[in-house]
Amino acid sequence: MAAAQQKKDVVRVDFAFKRELAEKVEGNLASFCYQCGACVGDCPAMMYTDDFNPRMIMLKVLYGLGEELIGDDSLLWECTNCYNCAERCPQEVKPAEVIISMKNMMADRGIYPDGVEKIIATFETTGRTVPMSSAIDKQREKFGLPPLDEVPMDEIQKLLTPAGKGEK
Amino acid sequence: MERFAFFPGCLVPARYPAMEFAIRQSLPKLGIEIVDLEGTSCCPDPIYFKSKDKISWLSVAARNLCLAEEQGVDLFTNCSGCTATLSETWHLMHDNEEVRDKVNERLATIGKEWKGTSRIRHIATLVRDIVGYEAIRKTVVRPLEGLKVAIHYGCHLLKPSKIMNVDDPNNPQMLEELVRALGAEPVRHEKWFLCCGKACANEDLPDTMMRDLLTTVRSVEAEILCLICPTCFGQFDYGQLKVARRFEEDFHTPPIYYFQLLAFAQGIEYDQLGVDRQRFKPEALKRFPVMETATEEESA
Repeated sequence: MAAAQQKKDVVRVDFAFKRELAEKVEGNLASFCYQCGACVGDCPAMMYTDDFNPRMIMLKVLYGLGEELIGDDSLLWECTNCYNCAERCPQEVKPAEVIISMKNMMADRGIYPDGVEKIIATFETTGRTVPMSSAIDKQREKFGLPPLDEVPMDEIQKLLTPAGKGEK
Repeated sequence: MERFAFFPGCLVPARYPAMEFAIRQSLPKLGIEIVDLEGTSCCPDPIYFKSKDKISWLSVAARNLCLAEEQGVDLFTNCSGCTATLSETWHLMHDNEEVRDKVNERLATIGKEWKGTSRIRHIATLVRDIVGYEAIRKTVVRPLEGLKVAIHYGCHLLKPSKIMNVDDPNNPQMLEELVRALGAEPVRHEKWFLCCGKACANEDLPDTMMRDLLTTVRSVEAEILCLICPTCFGQFDYGQLKVARRFEEDFHTPPIYYFQLLAFAQGIEYDQLGVDRQRFKPEALKRFPVMETATEEESA
């Protein structure tokens, strides 16, 4: 019994998770983390929440404990993207950047907070995060500014659809 | 006149046209000619769309950079988020061959290629480096003497410092100097380094952080809070109202975008600034008249 219990507690490194993360731009940077904790002290999310700790997140990445990081209600969305962690890191890990790479993995699985999904959809359909409207153009006119231009969505769509995927 | 492409992004032209107005008023007075780019899109934003797929994010950003390259000019942004996206894209494209190849492959489908010939500047560094503090001071006709100004640097102007390469992220001086050039007095609040909190999906965190930040702004008796990013502005305007209601505490710290403050110091009237739409209006500015100077006609 004792032996079985012990076996259960052993952390099993999930190499598939780590390989997938390494495919993302700058996703492999966590490999250089030696757990010094320099990223912790200046992290606003660490200061203002109970559960966010960039060192712990990097440790979980090193172990490949992906399911704890990229499930529904992921705590990664508490990151303020301030890059203090990247400033402090002696190993140039950029924890904020590794976190965004994991968000890319969540997106691949279709997991987004509702608000985030809405902003992304607005960009993908209009090319802007604030869509054009006659109300906006009226405001602009008050300042002698011309109406907003259309974004060439044909070009944006091509960039968003990798070659071979959207084409027949 | 030095020519620079203007990358307006989304927030300023659509939500805060008053900021764009101020930029277009003030830059020509500083000897900067604005080159408008046709067909720009969202930068795209470095928080949400970047979270979906970095390669798509880089591709759209690189397309925006190509538009400036085609005009043969460097580019300036009016938003720290746009600066982050475009600068990071430039650096990743420059340093990482694999990324560059992937992105240029996508750009080729629309007949473009990123070459790296146009560099990116935030408008604050544009006026610091190309114009200079002294030349700014010379355009001031309404010195803001005695105005106590707290400063919010925000995150993406300064960090990551190796990419942004703007100022010391631990003790920046640039915005203090830019405020001094207008005759005003910058004051540093204890929590000047905190983030505006806009990028969190969590609600609690930004609210509590904002309360702490505003508490220290109030303790140095700043009359306004000067900033250089429209996203931070939203947090300090609408966000401040939310925080005030939630904690039942009135911080009353009117935010103002630096280039509106500059345009005002250069002579634009208070009523023209477009600050009437703000939740917290920088009414402290109303006490500053245009300095009377003897024109040549008068002295003749």
